Amino acid sequence: MNFSSTLIEEAVMAFTALPGIGKKTALRLVLHLIDQPGQTSEQFSEAIVKMRRNIKHCSICHNVSDAEICAICTSPKRNSQIVCIVETIRDVMAIEATGQFNGVYHVLGGVISPIEGVGPDDLNIESLEKRVHDKKVKEVIMAISPTIEGDTTIFYISKKIKDSGVNISTIARGISFGGELEYADELTLGRSIATRLPYQDTDK
Amino acid sequence: MLELKLVNFKNYEDLRVSFSPQLNCFVGMNGMGKTNLLEAIYYLCMTKSNFGTNDRQMVRQGADFFRIEGNFAEQDKVVAKVIPGKQKKFERNDVAYDRLLEHIGEIPVVMIVPDDTQLVSEGSEERRRFIDNTLSQLETGYLKMLMTYNKVLKQRNAALKGMGKSGYYDDQLIQAYNGQLLAPADFIYQARKKFIAEFLPVFQRFYRVISNDAEQVAGVYVSKLENDSLENLLRENEQKDRILQRTTAGIHRDDLKFIIGGNPLRKFGSQGQLKSFVLALKLAQFEFLKQQKEKKPLLLLDDIFDKLDRYRVAQLIGLLLDQDFGQIFITDTHENRLEKIVEQYATNYRKFTVENGKII
Repeated sequence: MNFSSTLIEEAVMAFTALPGIGKKTALRLVLHLIDQPGQTSEQFSEAIVKMRRNIKHCSICHNVSDAEICAICTSPKRNSQIVCIVETIRDVMAIEATGQFNGVYHVLGGVISPIEGVGPDDLNIESLEKRVHDKKVKEVIMAISPTIEGDTTIFYISKKIKDSGVNISTIARGISFGGELEYADELTLGRSIATRLPYQDTDK
Repeated sequence: MLELKLVNFKNYEDLRVSFSPQLNCFVGMNGMGKTNLLEAIYYLCMTKSNFGTNDRQMVRQGADFFRIEGNFAEQDKVVAKVIPGKQKKFERNDVAYDRLLEHIGEIPVVMIVPDDTQLVSEGSEERRRFIDNTLSQLETGYLKMLMTYNKVLKQRNAALKGMGKSGYYDDQLIQAYNGQLLAPADFIYQARKKFIAEFLPVFQRFYRVISNDAEQVAGVYVSKLENDSLENLLRENEQKDRILQRTTAGIHRDDLKFIIGGNPLRKFGSQGQLKSFVLALKLAQFEFLKQQKEKKPLLLLDDIFDKLDRYRVAQLIGLLLDQDFGQIFITDTHENRLEKIVEQYATNYRKFTVENGKII
Protein backbone atom coordinates (compact mmCIF):
# COMPACT_ATOMS: atom_id res chain seq x y z
CA MET A 1 0.00 0.00 0.00
CA ASN A 2 1.30 3.42 -0.90
CA PHE A 3 0.42 6.21 1.53
CA SER A 4 0.89 9.81 0.46
CA SER A 5 1.77 10.68 4.03
CA THR A 6 4.22 9.22 6.51
CA LEU A 7 1.93 10.42 9.30
CA ILE A 8 -0.85 8.22 8.02
CA GLU A 9 1.56 5.37 7.47
CA GLU A 10 2.75 5.52 11.05
CA ALA A 11 -0.80 5.56 12.39
CA VAL A 12 -1.75 2.61 10.20
CA MET A 13 1.28 0.67 11.44
CA ALA A 14 0.26 1.40 15.03
CA PHE A 15 -3.20 -0.02 14.46
CA THR A 16 -1.95 -3.12 12.67
CA ALA A 17 0.08 -3.99 15.77
CA LEU A 18 -3.24 -4.85 17.42
CA PRO A 19 -4.63 -8.37 17.17
CA GLY A 20 -7.21 -8.98 14.45
CA ILE A 21 -6.50 -5.77 12.57
CA GLY A 22 -5.00 -5.88 9.10
CA LYS A 23 -3.76 -3.08 6.91
CA LYS A 24 -7.08 -2.34 5.26
CA THR A 25 -9.01 -2.16 8.52
CA ALA A 26 -6.26 -0.02 10.01
CA LEU A 27 -6.45 2.40 7.10
CA ARG A 28 -10.22 2.63 7.45
CA LEU A 29 -9.88 3.51 11.12
CA VAL A 30 -7.23 6.13 10.41
CA LEU A 31 -9.27 7.76 7.64
CA HIS A 32 -12.28 7.78 9.93
CA LEU A 33 -10.28 9.62 12.59
CA ILE A 34 -9.17 12.18 10.00
CA ASP A 35 -12.81 12.88 9.16
CA GLN A 36 -13.63 13.45 12.82
CA PRO A 37 -12.69 16.59 14.77
CA GLY A 38 -9.20 16.47 16.30
CA GLN A 39 -10.74 16.18 19.74
CA THR A 40 -11.95 12.65 19.05
CA SER A 41 -8.44 11.43 18.39
CA GLU A 42 -7.13 13.20 21.44
CA GLN A 43 -9.73 11.68 23.71
CA PHE A 44 -9.09 8.32 22.14
CA SER A 45 -5.35 8.38 22.68
CA GLU A 46 -5.69 9.88 26.13
CA ALA A 47 -8.03 7.10 27.20
CA ILE A 48 -5.57 4.50 26.07
CA VAL A 49 -2.54 6.12 27.66
CA LYS A 50 -4.40 6.72 30.90
CA MET A 51 -5.66 3.16 30.98
CA ARG A 52 -2.26 1.69 30.33
CA ARG A 53 -0.51 3.94 32.84
CA ASN A 54 -2.92 3.36 35.69
CA ILE A 55 -4.17 -0.18 35.28
CA LYS A 56 -3.06 -2.54 38.02
CA HIS A 57 -3.43 -6.15 38.91
CA CYS A 58 -5.33 -6.78 42.10
CA SER A 59 -2.91 -7.89 44.81
CA ILE A 60 -5.38 -10.46 46.06
CA CYS A 61 -6.95 -12.08 43.01
CA HIS A 62 -4.70 -10.83 40.14
CA ASN A 63 -7.69 -9.54 38.22
CA VAL A 64 -7.25 -6.18 36.44
CA SER A 65 -8.03 -3.30 38.73
CA ASP A 66 -7.98 0.48 39.04
CA ALA A 67 -6.78 0.30 42.61
CA GLU A 68 -4.42 -1.89 44.60
CA ILE A 69 -7.34 -4.19 45.36
CA CYS A 70 -10.06 -4.72 42.76
CA ALA A 71 -13.72 -3.81 43.01
CA ILE A 72 -14.82 -7.42 43.34
CA CYS A 73 -12.47 -8.18 46.23
CA THR A 74 -13.41 -5.00 48.11
CA SER A 75 -17.16 -5.30 47.57
CA PRO A 76 -18.94 -6.06 50.86
CA LYS A 77 -21.71 -7.77 48.90
CA ARG A 78 -19.44 -10.54 47.67
CA ASN A 79 -18.88 -13.71 49.63
CA SER A 80 -15.13 -13.94 50.13
CA GLN A 81 -15.41 -17.48 51.47
CA ILE A 82 -16.02 -18.84 47.99
CA VAL A 83 -13.14 -18.48 45.54
CA CYS A 84 -13.52 -19.24 41.86
CA ILE A 85 -10.24 -20.15 40.16
CA VAL A 86 -9.96 -19.13 36.51
CA GLU A 87 -7.24 -19.05 33.87
CA THR A 88 -7.50 -15.51 32.60
CA ILE A 89 -9.13 -12.14 33.16
CA ARG A 90 -11.44 -12.87 30.27
CA ASP A 91 -12.87 -15.82 32.19
CA VAL A 92 -13.67 -13.45 35.09
CA MET A 93 -15.60 -11.26 32.68
CA ALA A 94 -17.41 -14.26 31.20
CA ILE A 95 -18.51 -15.54 34.61
CA GLU A 96 -19.46 -12.04 35.78
CA ALA A 97 -21.65 -11.70 32.72
CA THR A 98 -23.71 -14.69 33.86
CA GLY A 99 -24.66 -12.93 37.09
CA GLN A 100 -24.73 -16.33 38.78
CA PHE A 101 -21.68 -16.04 40.97
CA ASN A 102 -21.44 -14.03 44.14
CA GLY A 103 -18.04 -15.10 45.43
CA VAL A 104 -14.58 -13.81 44.59
CA TYR A 105 -11.97 -14.87 42.02
CA HIS A 106 -8.40 -16.00 41.67
CA VAL A 107 -6.79 -15.51 38.28
CA LEU A 108 -4.01 -18.03 37.58
CA GLY A 109 -2.68 -16.40 34.43
CA GLY A 110 -2.77 -19.64 32.40
CA VAL A 111 -2.51 -23.39 32.84
CA ILE A 112 0.44 -25.69 33.48
CA SER A 113 2.09 -26.69 30.21
CA PRO A 114 5.80 -27.54 30.39
CA ILE A 115 5.90 -27.86 26.60
CA GLU A 116 5.03 -24.18 26.32
CA GLY A 117 7.47 -23.45 29.11
CA VAL A 118 4.73 -22.74 31.65
CA GLY A 119 5.39 -24.43 34.98
CA PRO A 120 3.50 -24.07 38.27
CA ASP A 121 5.89 -21.29 39.31
CA ASP A 122 4.84 -19.16 36.36
CA LEU A 123 1.24 -19.12 37.56
CA ASN A 124 -0.36 -17.45 40.58
CA ILE A 125 -0.55 -20.67 42.54
CA GLU A 126 1.57 -19.75 45.53
CA SER A 127 -0.59 -16.72 46.31
CA LEU A 128 -3.65 -18.96 46.05
CA GLU A 129 -2.22 -21.40 48.56
CA LYS A 130 -1.55 -18.56 50.95
CA ARG A 131 -4.99 -17.18 50.42
CA VAL A 132 -6.64 -20.48 51.18
CA HIS A 133 -4.48 -21.16 54.23
CA ASP A 134 -4.62 -17.65 55.75
CA LYS A 135 -8.12 -16.50 55.08
CA LYS A 136 -11.28 -18.31 55.88
CA VAL A 137 -12.00 -19.81 52.49
CA LYS A 138 -14.67 -22.48 52.61
CA GLU A 139 -14.96 -23.49 49.02
CA VAL A 140 -12.79 -23.32 45.94
CA ILE A 141 -14.43 -23.69 42.53
CA MET A 142 -12.20 -24.75 39.66
CA ALA A 143 -13.52 -23.01 36.55
CA ILE A 144 -10.73 -24.20 34.26
CA SER A 145 -10.96 -25.37 30.65
CA PRO A 146 -11.63 -29.10 30.28
CA THR A 147 -8.37 -29.76 28.43
CA ILE A 148 -5.47 -32.02 29.33
CA GLU A 149 -3.48 -29.03 30.58
CA GLY A 150 -6.51 -27.78 32.49
CA ASP A 151 -6.92 -31.16 34.18
CA THR A 152 -3.26 -31.18 35.16
CA THR A 153 -3.66 -27.76 36.71
CA ILE A 154 -6.78 -28.74 38.65
CA PHE A 155 -5.08 -31.92 39.89
CA TYR A 156 -1.97 -29.99 40.92
CA ILE A 157 -3.80 -27.21 42.75
CA SER A 158 -6.12 -29.60 44.55
CA LYS A 159 -3.11 -31.49 45.90
CA LYS A 160 -1.59 -28.25 47.11
CA ILE A 161 -4.62 -26.94 48.98
CA LYS A 162 -6.38 -30.08 50.07
CA ASP A 163 -4.63 -30.17 53.48
CA SER A 164 -6.31 -26.93 54.48
CA GLY A 165 -9.63 -28.76 54.54
CA VAL A 166 -11.24 -26.49 51.98
CA ASN A 167 -14.06 -27.86 49.83
CA ILE A 168 -12.95 -28.27 46.23
CA SER A 169 -15.42 -28.37 43.35
CA THR A 170 -15.21 -28.04 39.58
CA ILE A 171 -17.71 -26.53 37.22
CA ALA A 172 -20.03 -29.13 35.67
CA ARG A 173 -19.00 -30.53 32.33
CA GLY A 174 -21.51 -31.94 29.95
CA ILE A 175 -24.26 -31.28 27.49
CA SER A 176 -24.56 -27.62 26.68
CA PHE A 177 -27.85 -25.85 27.23
CA GLY A 178 -29.96 -25.91 24.08
CA GLY A 179 -27.77 -28.68 22.66
CA GLU A 180 -29.13 -31.94 21.33
CA LEU A 181 -27.88 -35.26 22.67
CA GLU A 182 -27.53 -36.73 19.22
CA TYR A 183 -24.86 -34.20 18.32
CA ALA A 184 -22.87 -34.35 21.54
CA ASP A 185 -19.53 -36.12 21.19
CA GLU A 186 -19.22 -39.50 22.90
CA LEU A 187 -16.74 -38.33 25.51
CA THR A 188 -19.00 -35.51 26.69
CA LEU A 189 -22.14 -37.61 26.59
CA GLY A 190 -20.45 -40.51 28.41
CA ARG A 191 -19.21 -38.18 31.08
CA SER A 192 -22.59 -36.53 31.45
CA ILE A 193 -24.20 -39.91 32.05
CA ALA A 194 -21.53 -40.95 34.52
CA THR A 195 -21.74 -37.70 36.49
CA ARG A 196 -25.51 -37.27 36.22
CA LEU A 197 -27.33 -35.05 38.68
CA PRO A 198 -30.38 -35.62 40.86
CA TYR A 199 -33.40 -34.04 39.23
CA GLN A 200 -34.73 -30.91 40.83
CA ASP A 201 -38.03 -29.31 40.05
CA THR A 202 -36.42 -25.93 40.27
CA ASP A 203 -33.86 -26.73 37.58
CA LYS A 204 -34.24 -24.28 34.84
CA MET B 1 -13.96 -46.09 -4.84
CA LEU B 2 -15.35 -45.15 -8.21
CA GLU B 3 -13.31 -42.09 -9.01
CA LEU B 4 -10.28 -40.19 -7.77
CA LYS B 5 -9.42 -36.55 -8.45
CA LEU B 6 -6.10 -35.03 -7.52
CA VAL B 7 -4.94 -31.43 -7.63
CA ASN B 8 -1.31 -30.58 -6.84
CA PHE B 9 -0.77 -33.85 -5.00
CA LYS B 10 2.87 -34.93 -5.24
CA ASN B 11 3.69 -35.08 -8.96
CA TYR B 12 0.04 -34.84 -10.07
CA GLU B 13 -1.04 -31.41 -11.16
CA ASP B 14 -4.54 -32.29 -12.17
CA LEU B 15 -5.80 -35.84 -12.45
CA ARG B 16 -9.17 -37.47 -12.77
CA VAL B 17 -9.44 -41.24 -12.99
CA SER B 18 -12.23 -43.83 -12.75
CA PHE B 19 -11.66 -47.26 -11.27
CA SER B 20 -12.82 -50.82 -11.63
CA PRO B 21 -14.73 -52.00 -8.55
CA GLN B 22 -12.56 -55.10 -8.44
CA LEU B 23 -8.95 -54.86 -9.53
CA ASN B 24 -6.89 -51.85 -10.62
CA CYS B 25 -3.29 -52.06 -11.77
CA PHE B 26 -0.96 -49.08 -12.06
CA VAL B 27 2.06 -49.87 -14.21
CA GLY B 28 4.99 -47.67 -15.17
CA MET B 29 8.67 -47.03 -14.56
CA ASN B 30 10.14 -46.11 -11.19
CA GLY B 31 9.54 -42.55 -10.06
CA MET B 32 6.57 -41.97 -12.35
CA GLY B 33 4.01 -41.67 -9.53
CA LYS B 34 2.40 -45.09 -9.13
CA THR B 35 2.87 -45.21 -5.38
CA ASN B 36 1.66 -41.60 -5.12
CA LEU B 37 -1.75 -42.75 -6.33
CA LEU B 38 -1.94 -45.36 -3.59
CA GLU B 39 -0.76 -42.78 -1.09
CA ALA B 40 -3.49 -40.37 -2.17
CA ILE B 41 -6.13 -43.03 -1.58
CA TYR B 42 -4.60 -43.90 1.79
CA TYR B 43 -4.47 -40.24 2.78
CA LEU B 44 -8.12 -39.80 1.95
CA CYS B 45 -9.02 -42.66 4.31
CA MET B 46 -6.59 -42.04 7.17
CA THR B 47 -6.01 -38.27 6.97
CA LYS B 48 -2.28 -38.82 6.82
CA SER B 49 0.47 -40.53 4.86
CA ASN B 50 1.26 -44.20 5.26
CA PHE B 51 4.97 -43.34 5.16
CA GLY B 52 4.91 -40.63 7.80
CA THR B 53 5.47 -38.00 5.12
CA ASN B 54 4.38 -34.56 6.31
CA ASP B 55 1.78 -32.54 4.46
CA ARG B 56 4.28 -30.03 3.14
CA GLN B 57 6.07 -32.75 1.22
CA MET B 58 2.84 -33.90 -0.38
CA VAL B 59 2.26 -30.66 -2.22
CA ARG B 60 3.42 -30.53 -5.82
CA GLN B 61 6.55 -28.43 -6.21
CA GLY B 62 5.68 -24.80 -6.73
CA ALA B 63 2.12 -25.12 -5.39
CA ASP B 64 0.92 -24.15 -1.93
CA PHE B 65 -2.01 -26.51 -1.43
CA PHE B 66 -3.29 -29.90 -2.51
CA ARG B 67 -6.70 -31.43 -2.87
CA ILE B 68 -7.81 -35.06 -3.01
CA GLU B 69 -11.33 -36.03 -3.90
CA GLY B 70 -12.70 -39.56 -3.89
CA ASN B 71 -16.13 -40.73 -4.91
CA PHE B 72 -16.75 -43.91 -2.99
CA ALA B 73 -20.27 -44.49 -4.19
CA GLU B 74 -22.82 -42.57 -6.18
CA GLN B 75 -23.70 -40.43 -3.20
CA ASP B 76 -20.58 -40.67 -1.11
CA LYS B 77 -17.80 -38.17 -1.62
CA VAL B 78 -14.76 -37.43 0.53
CA VAL B 79 -12.62 -34.36 -0.08
CA ALA B 80 -9.32 -33.41 1.56
CA LYS B 81 -8.25 -29.78 1.23
CA VAL B 82 -4.83 -29.11 2.64
CA ILE B 83 -2.79 -25.91 2.82
CA PRO B 84 0.24 -27.08 4.82
CA GLY B 85 0.75 -25.10 8.01
CA LYS B 86 -2.53 -23.25 7.50
CA GLN B 87 -5.49 -25.47 6.84
CA LYS B 88 -6.34 -29.14 6.80
CA LYS B 89 -9.95 -29.88 6.09
CA PHE B 90 -11.79 -33.11 5.38
CA GLU B 91 -15.31 -33.06 4.02
CA ARG B 92 -17.77 -35.89 3.63
CA ASN B 93 -20.53 -35.08 1.17
CA ASP B 94 -19.72 -31.38 1.50
CA VAL B 95 -19.93 -31.38 5.30
CA ALA B 96 -16.63 -30.64 7.01
CA TYR B 97 -15.51 -32.78 9.94
CA ASP B 98 -14.99 -30.90 13.21
CA ARG B 99 -12.14 -33.21 14.08
CA LEU B 100 -10.14 -35.25 11.61
CA LEU B 101 -10.18 -38.33 13.82
CA GLU B 102 -13.91 -38.65 13.28
CA HIS B 103 -13.15 -39.62 9.71
CA ILE B 104 -10.60 -42.32 10.50
CA GLY B 105 -12.19 -45.76 10.16
CA GLU B 106 -15.09 -44.48 8.06
CA ILE B 107 -13.41 -45.92 4.99
CA PRO B 108 -11.20 -48.76 6.18
CA VAL B 109 -7.96 -49.27 4.29
CA VAL B 110 -4.92 -51.55 4.34
CA MET B 111 -1.75 -50.63 2.48
CA ILE B 112 0.99 -53.15 1.80
CA VAL B 113 4.39 -51.73 0.84
CA PRO B 114 7.96 -53.08 0.56
CA ASP B 115 8.90 -51.04 3.67
CA ASP B 116 6.60 -53.22 5.75
CA THR B 117 9.57 -55.40 6.66
CA GLN B 118 10.44 -52.60 9.08
CA LEU B 119 7.72 -54.12 11.24
CA VAL B 120 10.24 -56.79 12.05
CA SER B 121 13.59 -55.12 11.55
CA GLU B 122 12.90 -51.79 13.29
CA GLY B 123 12.13 -50.96 16.92
CA SER B 124 8.91 -51.54 18.81
CA GLU B 125 7.42 -48.24 17.62
CA GLU B 126 6.62 -49.75 14.21
CA ARG B 127 4.80 -52.66 15.78
CA ARG B 128 2.80 -50.43 18.09
CA ARG B 129 1.92 -48.35 15.05
CA PHE B 130 0.57 -51.47 13.35
CA ILE B 131 -1.65 -52.30 16.33
CA ASP B 132 -2.75 -48.68 16.78
CA ASN B 133 -3.50 -48.30 13.08
CA THR B 134 -5.82 -51.30 13.17
CA LEU B 135 -7.57 -50.36 16.40
CA SER B 136 -7.96 -46.72 15.39
CA GLN B 137 -9.88 -47.79 12.33
CA LEU B 138 -12.16 -49.92 14.48
CA GLU B 139 -12.87 -47.55 17.31
CA THR B 140 -12.67 -43.76 17.46
CA GLY B 141 -12.54 -44.03 21.24
CA TYR B 142 -9.23 -45.87 21.02
CA LEU B 143 -7.60 -43.14 19.00
CA LYS B 144 -8.92 -40.50 21.37
CA MET B 145 -7.49 -42.33 24.37
CA LEU B 146 -4.18 -42.80 22.61
CA MET B 147 -3.97 -39.12 21.76
CA THR B 148 -4.78 -38.16 25.34
CA TYR B 149 -2.14 -40.52 26.65
CA ASN B 150 0.48 -39.20 24.25
CA LYS B 151 -0.29 -35.58 25.07
CA VAL B 152 -0.03 -36.15 28.82
CA LEU B 153 3.15 -38.15 28.29
CA LYS B 154 4.69 -35.31 26.28
CA GLN B 155 3.87 -32.81 29.02
CA ARG B 156 5.24 -35.16 31.67
CA ASN B 157 8.50 -35.59 29.76
CA ALA B 158 8.78 -31.84 29.19
CA ALA B 159 8.21 -31.32 32.91
CA LEU B 160 10.91 -33.89 33.78
CA LYS B 161 13.31 -32.16 31.44
CA GLY B 162 12.52 -28.73 32.90
CA MET B 163 13.01 -30.06 36.42
CA GLY B 164 16.31 -31.62 35.40
CA LYS B 165 17.48 -28.23 34.19
CA SER B 166 16.33 -26.22 37.19
CA GLY B 167 17.30 -28.89 39.71
CA TYR B 168 13.99 -28.53 41.54
CA TYR B 169 11.88 -31.69 41.46
CA ASP B 170 8.19 -30.97 41.83
CA ASP B 171 6.77 -34.29 42.97
CA GLN B 172 3.20 -33.03 43.01
CA LEU B 173 3.28 -32.05 39.36
CA ILE B 174 4.59 -35.50 38.41
CA GLN B 175 1.86 -37.03 40.54
CA ALA B 176 -0.68 -34.95 38.63
CA TYR B 177 0.58 -36.36 35.34
CA ASN B 178 0.67 -39.89 36.73
CA GLY B 179 -2.97 -39.57 37.69
CA GLN B 180 -3.88 -38.46 34.19
CA LEU B 181 -2.06 -41.35 32.54
CA LEU B 182 -3.77 -44.17 34.43
CA ALA B 183 -7.18 -44.32 32.80
CA PRO B 184 -6.02 -43.98 29.16
CA ALA B 185 -3.18 -46.47 29.75
CA ASP B 186 -5.54 -49.06 31.15
CA PHE B 187 -7.99 -48.60 28.29
CA ILE B 188 -5.25 -48.95 25.68
CA TYR B 189 -3.68 -51.96 27.41
CA GLN B 190 -6.99 -53.82 27.56
CA ALA B 191 -7.81 -52.98 23.95
CA ARG B 192 -4.40 -54.11 22.67
CA LYS B 193 -4.49 -57.31 24.68
CA LYS B 194 -7.92 -58.22 23.40
CA PHE B 195 -6.92 -57.34 19.87
CA ILE B 196 -3.81 -59.54 19.81
CA ALA B 197 -5.74 -62.50 21.17
CA GLU B 198 -8.40 -62.21 18.46
CA PHE B 199 -6.00 -61.29 15.69
CA LEU B 200 -3.53 -64.13 16.17
CA PRO B 201 -5.60 -67.01 14.74
CA VAL B 202 -6.47 -64.92 11.67
CA PHE B 203 -2.80 -64.16 11.13
CA GLN B 204 -1.74 -67.79 11.58
CA ARG B 205 -4.27 -68.89 9.00
CA PHE B 206 -2.90 -66.46 6.41
CA TYR B 207 0.68 -67.42 7.12
CA ARG B 208 -0.15 -71.08 6.52
CA VAL B 209 -1.61 -70.25 3.12
CA ILE B 210 1.23 -67.96 2.03
CA SER B 211 4.09 -70.13 3.24
CA ASN B 212 2.47 -73.42 2.20
CA ASP B 213 2.12 -74.51 5.79
CA ALA B 214 5.78 -74.30 6.74
CA GLU B 215 6.39 -73.27 10.35
CA GLN B 216 4.39 -72.33 13.42
CA VAL B 217 4.24 -68.58 13.89
CA ALA B 218 3.00 -66.37 16.69
CA GLY B 219 2.87 -62.81 17.96
CA VAL B 220 3.19 -62.18 21.68
CA TYR B 221 2.04 -58.94 23.25
CA VAL B 222 4.62 -57.67 25.71
CA SER B 223 3.59 -55.00 28.18
CA LYS B 224 4.79 -54.15 31.66
CA LEU B 225 1.17 -53.59 32.57
CA GLU B 226 0.73 -57.35 32.39
CA ASN B 227 2.09 -57.82 35.91
CA ASP B 228 1.66 -54.50 37.60
CA SER B 229 -0.50 -51.41 37.56
CA LEU B 230 0.85 -48.30 35.86
CA GLU B 231 0.51 -46.49 39.16
CA ASN B 232 3.05 -48.83 40.75
CA LEU B 233 5.28 -48.85 37.69
CA LEU B 234 5.50 -45.07 37.63
CA ARG B 235 6.32 -45.02 41.33
CA GLU B 236 9.00 -47.71 41.00
CA ASN B 237 10.63 -45.90 38.09
CA GLU B 238 10.54 -42.45 39.67
CA GLN B 239 14.28 -42.19 40.24
CA LYS B 240 15.05 -43.57 36.80
CA ASP B 241 12.66 -41.11 35.17
CA ARG B 242 14.25 -38.25 37.07
CA ILE B 243 17.73 -39.16 35.90
CA LEU B 244 16.82 -39.94 32.29
CA GLN B 245 14.34 -37.04 32.17
CA ARG B 246 11.70 -39.08 30.42
CA THR B 247 9.00 -41.60 31.26
CA THR B 248 10.47 -45.09 31.19
CA ALA B 249 7.40 -47.24 31.86
CA GLY B 250 4.00 -47.28 30.25
CA ILE B 251 2.09 -48.45 27.22
CA HIS B 252 4.35 -46.34 25.01
CA ARG B 253 6.96 -49.04 25.61
CA ASP B 254 4.75 -52.02 24.68
CA ASP B 255 5.97 -54.45 22.04
CA LEU B 256 4.74 -57.26 19.90
CA LYS B 257 7.27 -60.10 19.71
CA PHE B 258 7.19 -62.16 16.55
CA ILE B 259 7.99 -65.85 16.86
CA ILE B 260 8.74 -68.38 14.15
CA GLY B 261 9.24 -72.07 14.90
CA GLY B 262 9.64 -71.18 18.58
CA ASN B 263 12.39 -68.61 17.95
CA PRO B 264 12.46 -64.82 17.58
CA LEU B 265 11.77 -64.00 13.93
CA ARG B 266 14.23 -61.12 13.88
CA LYS B 267 17.17 -63.39 14.58
CA PHE B 268 16.09 -66.68 13.12
CA GLY B 269 13.91 -65.83 10.15
CA SER B 270 15.23 -65.91 6.58
CA GLN B 271 14.52 -63.03 4.19
CA GLY B 272 11.84 -65.09 2.52
CA GLN B 273 10.20 -66.01 5.79
CA LEU B 274 10.32 -62.39 6.88
CA LYS B 275 8.55 -61.21 3.76
CA SER B 276 5.86 -63.89 4.02
CA PHE B 277 5.40 -63.10 7.68
CA VAL B 278 4.85 -59.41 7.09
CA LEU B 279 2.54 -60.01 4.17
CA ALA B 280 0.47 -62.41 6.25
CA LEU B 281 0.27 -59.76 9.00
CA LYS B 282 -1.09 -57.19 6.60
CA LEU B 283 -3.56 -59.52 4.93
CA ALA B 284 -4.73 -60.62 8.36
CA GLN B 285 -5.18 -56.96 9.24
CA PHE B 286 -7.38 -56.66 6.19
CA GLU B 287 -9.42 -59.72 7.14
CA PHE B 288 -9.73 -58.59 10.74
CA LEU B 289 -10.97 -55.13 9.78
CA LYS B 290 -13.39 -56.71 7.34
CA GLN B 291 -14.84 -59.02 9.98
CA GLN B 292 -15.10 -56.38 12.67
CA LYS B 293 -16.45 -53.58 10.52
CA GLU B 294 -18.54 -55.82 8.28
CA LYS B 295 -17.23 -53.73 5.43
CA LYS B 296 -14.39 -54.51 3.04
CA PRO B 297 -11.38 -52.24 3.41
CA LEU B 298 -9.64 -50.93 0.30
CA LEU B 299 -6.53 -52.96 -0.34
CA LEU B 300 -3.48 -51.09 -1.65
CA LEU B 301 -0.60 -53.29 -2.80
CA ASP B 302 2.59 -51.44 -3.62
CA ASP B 303 5.25 -53.24 -5.62
CA ILE B 304 4.08 -56.70 -4.69
CA PHE B 305 6.80 -58.47 -6.72
CA ASP B 306 9.29 -57.11 -4.27
CA LYS B 307 7.91 -59.49 -1.69
CA LEU B 308 7.08 -62.53 -3.73
CA ASP B 309 8.17 -64.39 -6.82
CA ARG B 310 5.96 -64.84 -9.85
CA TYR B 311 4.42 -68.05 -8.68
CA ARG B 312 3.56 -66.67 -5.27
CA VAL B 313 2.06 -63.52 -6.75
CA ALA B 314 -0.20 -65.65 -8.91
CA GLN B 315 -1.18 -67.63 -5.85
CA LEU B 316 -1.81 -64.48 -3.85
CA ILE B 317 -3.93 -62.81 -6.50
CA GLY B 318 -5.89 -66.03 -6.82
CA LEU B 319 -6.44 -65.97 -3.08
CA LEU B 320 -7.45 -62.33 -3.02
CA LEU B 321 -9.94 -62.61 -5.82
CA ASP B 322 -11.28 -65.98 -4.67
CA GLN B 323 -12.07 -64.70 -1.23
CA ASP B 324 -13.56 -61.53 -2.61
CA PHE B 325 -11.22 -58.98 -1.13
CA GLY B 326 -13.30 -56.14 -2.44
CA GLN B 327 -11.51 -53.42 -4.32
CA ILE B 328 -7.77 -53.81 -4.90
CA PHE B 329 -5.13 -51.42 -6.21
CA ILE B 330 -1.76 -52.82 -7.31
CA THR B 331 1.40 -51.20 -8.66
CA ASP B 332 4.14 -52.85 -10.70
CA THR B 333 7.07 -51.72 -12.81
CA HIS B 334 6.63 -54.35 -15.52
CA GLU B 335 3.74 -53.77 -17.80
CA ASN B 336 3.07 -57.35 -18.82
CA ARG B 337 4.15 -59.36 -15.82
CA LEU B 338 1.15 -58.37 -13.75
CA GLU B 339 -1.30 -58.38 -16.60
CA LYS B 340 -0.60 -61.98 -17.51
CA ILE B 341 -1.30 -63.13 -14.01
CA VAL B 342 -4.29 -60.92 -13.50
CA GLU B 343 -5.97 -61.98 -16.73
CA GLN B 344 -6.26 -65.52 -15.47
CA TYR B 345 -8.24 -64.54 -12.39
CA ALA B 346 -9.92 -61.21 -12.60
CA THR B 347 -13.19 -60.72 -14.35
CA ASN B 348 -13.26 -56.99 -13.90
CA TYR B 349 -9.93 -55.22 -14.00
CA ARG B 350 -8.42 -52.04 -15.38
CA LYS B 351 -4.84 -51.26 -16.22
CA PHE B 352 -3.44 -47.73 -16.00
CA THR B 353 -0.08 -46.73 -17.42
CA VAL B 354 1.47 -44.03 -15.30
CA GLU B 355 3.99 -41.62 -16.75
CA ASN B 356 5.28 -38.46 -15.11
CA GLY B 357 2.22 -37.62 -13.09
CA LYS B 358 -0.22 -38.51 -15.84
CA ILE B 359 -2.22 -41.56 -16.72
CA ILE B 360 -1.94 -42.37 -20.41
